[in-house]
Amino acid sequence: MTIQLDRRRFILSAAATSAIASAGALFPGISFGGWPKVTGNSGLVSWQKAPCRFCGTGCGVLVGVMDGRAVAVKGDPNCSVNKGLCCVKGYHSVQALYGSDRLTTAKIRKNGEMVEVPIKEALDLVAEKLQETRDKHGKDSVAIYGSGQWTIPDGYVASKLFKGCLGTNNVEANARLCMASAVTGFMTSFGIDEPMGCYEDIDHANVFISWGNNMAEMHPVLFSRMLANRERRTNVKIIDFATRMTRSSQASDTSILFKPQTDLAVANAICHEIIANGWVNWNFVNEHVSFHKGKTNIGYGTEDHFAFTDQDEAISFEEYKKFLEDYTPEKVERISGVSARDIKYLAALYGDPALKVTSFWCMGMNQHTRGTWINNLVYNIHLLVGKISTPGNSPFSLTGQPSACGTVREVGTLTHALPHGVVMNEHDRQMAAEIWEVPVENIDPKPTYHTVEMFRALDRGDIKFIWIQVTNPMVTMPNLKRYRNGAMKDDRFIVVSDIYPTPTTDIADVILPAAMWIEQEGMFGNSERRTQHFAQILDPPGEAMSDTWQIIEVARRLGFEKQFPWSQDNYIEKIWEEYRRFHSGPKHEMASYKILTERSGVQWPFVGGKETRWRFNPEYDPACTNGKTFDFYGKKDNRAWIWARPYEPAAESPDSEYPFWLNTGRVIEHWHTGTMTRRIPVLHNAVPSSYVELHPEDAAQLGVVNGEKVKIISRRGDITMPVQINGRGVPPRGMVFVPFFDESYLINEVTLDAFCPISKQPDYKKCAVRLEKA
Amino acid sequence: MMKQPEKGHKPVAHAAIALCLLGMFLTGTEAFSADTAYDDFDNQAKKRFAARRATPEIYTTADSGDRNLAGFYELRQYPGSPPRIPHPVDVTFSGNETDCLSCHGKGGYSAEFGKFVPVTPHPENTLCYQCHVPVVTEEPFVASNWQSMDPPRLGRSSLSSSPPTIPHSLQLRENCISCHTGPGAVAEIRVTHAARGDCRQCHVPAVEADGLSVFKRK
Repeated sequence: MTIQLDRRRFILSAAATSAIASAGALFPGISFGGWPKVTGNSGLVSWQKAPCRFCGTGCGVLVGVMDGRAVAVKGDPNCSVNKGLCCVKGYHSVQALYGSDRLTTAKIRKNGEMVEVPIKEALDLVAEKLQETRDKHGKDSVAIYGSGQWTIPDGYVASKLFKGCLGTNNVEANARLCMASAVTGFMTSFGIDEPMGCYEDIDHANVFISWGNNMAEMHPVLFSRMLANRERRTNVKIIDFATRMTRSSQASDTSILFKPQTDLAVANAICHEIIANGWVNWNFVNEHVSFHKGKTNIGYGTEDHFAFTDQDEAISFEEYKKFLEDYTPEKVERISGVSARDIKYLAALYGDPALKVTSFWCMGMNQHTRGTWINNLVYNIHLLVGKISTPGNSPFSLTGQPSACGTVREVGTLTHALPHGVVMNEHDRQMAAEIWEVPVENIDPKPTYHTVEMFRALDRGDIKFIWIQVTNPMVTMPNLKRYRNGAMKDDRFIVVSDIYPTPTTDIADVILPAAMWIEQEGMFGNSERRTQHFAQILDPPGEAMSDTWQIIEVARRLGFEKQFPWSQDNYIEKIWEEYRRFHSGPKHEMASYKILTERSGVQWPFVGGKETRWRFNPEYDPACTNGKTFDFYGKKDNRAWIWARPYEPAAESPDSEYPFWLNTGRVIEHWHTGTMTRRIPVLHNAVPSSYVELHPEDAAQLGVVNGEKVKIISRRGDITMPVQINGRGVPPRGMVFVPFFDESYLINEVTLDAFCPISKQPDYKKCAVRLEKA
Repeated sequence: MMKQPEKGHKPVAHAAIALCLLGMFLTGTEAFSADTAYDDFDNQAKKRFAARRATPEIYTTADSGDRNLAGFYELRQYPGSPPRIPHPVDVTFSGNETDCLSCHGKGGYSAEFGKFVPVTPHPENTLCYQCHVPVVTEEPFVASNWQSMDPPRLGRSSLSSSPPTIPHSLQLRENCISCHTGPGAVAEIRVTHAARGDCRQCHVPAVEADGLSVFKRK
């Protein structure tokens, strides 16, 4: 057996050897290679703006281009998002273009083998198979599954082709797995999607409360901005409210741990305290808020064909107050493990009229079987005290992908959505039909499958053809085995557009090589309603083609030349100007193509040449017309809605057979499934493989030390992987955490495909597992 | 291939850089004036002066020979990229967010590592692991075709006796003395006259940059 050196002892021993180590070789056995140089290079670098390729923060980067290659990155000082600072992924992002296994030619499956073909031939086959499947099995047997990394034009042409021309609502995107609860949260509380605030809130708030979120690793640039504000101003506090200790916890002033799923109860207890202590802002509540309740005991969606429709019922403030009687701090302490004292402390921060409070959240609240509810409940807190839509007072839902907002939420690449509105609404269908120049009957008024149900339909055989672009579902689908087996069934036809080989291209019948990021022109939309244009800066390798153009090529082969008439010289501009018509008007006006090309992002609504920093506040938002201090114009009653939503347990909680919670997520170095970041040397060399975080006492009980392996077993599958104890994150006793970036350890074979019945977003943070020493 | 700039601002001789820069401003070529604005960062000059005042003179003039330029670039992926961490760090890397700054904030001799510590030019950024990551393995995931430019050449004086220009962007590196003075500095770029406080009195930025060129399909 090898001796396991723990890290601290390793540092001490390294320090002892360092006395004899020469400069640059402090780490014995490791030398650094520097970088290969472009031979005979001109030395002249041209710097061009783009939004970063990775998370939803939307940092502006300047890409250094020399002799046709991207050679360097700087933060864009002109971009208000990051003001010139990036994170380690952004600084090395351009290296993701140059992995030696880039897909540069199309491949099709012939007699079980993938063979290279000219891309034209592959596109012919895609169109032919799509047509054939549709003819044989009906319009809803074909589907497209995209991503929050689709550019806005990618998503727009996908929706236009499938919803407008092919007449199927089988359009979904992986943002269903990351942002759907945020959307339904906004829609139910405000009647209109996306945050009212912006990143400038960070420069005004006194208190930051982070809900189930590890911003230090997931949104590091915004976290740094909070730290800088805390340094600069005397009255700034950061509160970490989470289920495990993270780097964010360690950098925060206070860290409060709660038991998984009980954030629902704590949020209600905070509201209970706000009312009990007389901290309600009555001027605000009387003018701008109405009270509602919906259905309860709403299920978890683990069965096929699960359906749920919520029904709202107006209630009085008194009824709401009575509902909260179950949520006294003392009662909630017993459910949540959060002391009544800490609950009162949180309530006092929200309740103190002298403090500006910004709440941040991301996957912890969204990947939640009551994701819509917990979004509602945090809005409730802000609404009761009127801390919203003013600088520094901001309930802020962060996004994880560069264009989850821009493409999936604004273009509406979800089964129920259209670029403006929803398929169920006749007026919205008419608008789409008119702009798309298709008969209005083409657009089906009935939504079909949300993502989990779409892959279930593929397994059942209701869907036979699926085109997957810019995402890797064979790593990210929960309860993965079922969906991989389903996708591999004999008469299913899978088309995958991607830039590198992945577990998803492994199951493909056609692989289309895609242009990546700055190898094409496009736009992203970030977390704060900012649309960010990037020019094509580089040639895509080989026959790689933008996802937009792949869809256009197929659409034309299917006979839709009229709807897809654009030339390759300016198709992005033409698509943008067509798409922009959907959002015309003060609530969502978008900037023109020309303005987007000139600036490092523009926030919508963009009215009369002015960006809107805070929505619903007439000082900033031109869509406000009611003459009052605020106008929550998304809802018909012009009010924001407070919802009575109870605490209900998770779909699967630990029991005597499966005694641990399994929580999954990311690390700063890697992004999603690692197909890009693992090909960036600095990032891979820092975190080369996944691991399972375990509480030291649980590890001792199992008899494992750092680096030894444990088997993680759930009712769906198992996986054996190395243990990390007292690493960068420390779960409480009874919980394990696994980063999901590593395709060698497919943790989603273990997770559960339960979802929020309202948003249909799965919960990747909670299921029950047991551990065995491997 | 990228379109080469047609405008005459590609410096042909280094002696002409300053004139070219001036020329670009006067003719108002948007591309180049944008680049100079990015690279100037003079609004951050206070950092430089404050650091200079806070550092004892002996500490700006001492030399240890601990670091050289080759080692400096070995930690980077291109000139200006955030360097990797060449020594072991605790895996939590965050017991206290200022762990790194306890050494890299002001520098000094590290008994633990037996050498003088390089000083960060931007101690105001305290979330160090946002940009700097350790090295756990040297094995690549897959091979990379990454290539970048040569590092800037040193000693680019316009005249034989004139002060050299600044060949790198000042973004996040506004504080000259952190890298160019003291025993933790890289030997080749240590200044011989650390006692003088206003570096920009004599040294001006001259970053060679290509104009903004929009991609054109062939």
